[in-house]
Amino acid sequence: MVLPASVDVLGDVRRFIKNAAEQAGLDGKSTYNLQLALDEIVTNVILYGYEASGLTGNIVLKSDRTEESLVITLEDTGIAYDPRTREMPDEVDLSKDLEDRPIGGLGIFLAINGVDEFNYERAGNRNINTFTVYRSRRRQQTGGGSS
Amino acid sequence: MALTSTLTMENGVAKITLAGELDASVAGAFKETIEQAAAQNPTRLVLFMEGLDFMASAGLRVLVFAKQKMRSDVPIYIIGCQPPVLSSLEMSGFQKSVYLQDSYTDE
Repeated sequence: MVLPASVDVLGDVRRFIKNAAEQAGLDGKSTYNLQLALDEIVTNVILYGYEASGLTGNIVLKSDRTEESLVITLEDTGIAYDPRTREMPDEVDLSKDLEDRPIGGLGIFLAINGVDEFNYERAGNRNINTFTVYRSRRRQQTGGGSS
Repeated sequence: MALTSTLTMENGVAKITLAGELDASVAGAFKETIEQAAAQNPTRLVLFMEGLDFMASAGLRVLVFAKQKMRSDVPIYIIGCQPPVLSSLEMSGFQKSVYLQDSYTDE
């Protein structure tokens, strides 16, 4: 699926993910978390990878199912950006009163915690973000240890 | 699905009902509603979220804005969140600063 890099397409992104998740048999919670993960990273790509840099372009979404997992790939040609390098809130930040928070990184925090695996690579002029969700209960057994 | 955010004032209490999906494309509209509520100097802010099917971090940031915009003695109540939205709020530590409740009755 190819979409223009605009926040107006976020609903289309979520619908694409919902369809892919339903076909993969994911439960409601995993589906929502995957939608949230893509929504957050796509938003970042659009606002910072393209718009803040004065660039225009597309985002490309692909979905691949294996017996074990659903893999969503997001590609863009905005500025190079690895979400994993973003400083995320830690326990201390998350325990602060909202009045004392200069909140940053919450979106990426929710995105990365919402999937079983998140990867990034830069290939030529493309950013490639990969989101993996296990289709079985393996996910709960491996747990979501805090870091 | 678009977002609707409706503000009503009742006896000094600002009540906002949210429905639809709250992402970065519509967070500005929600923020404007918060600003309208704050301008009334409410004694408390109550957000009814039963009809909110999705909330991204853009929505969380507006809630942070709300907490910082209102006087510190103005409590914020969030009512009837759907489980995934509630999960995002709790993962982000918001339960320490706002009241998360299933239902709300005027005191």
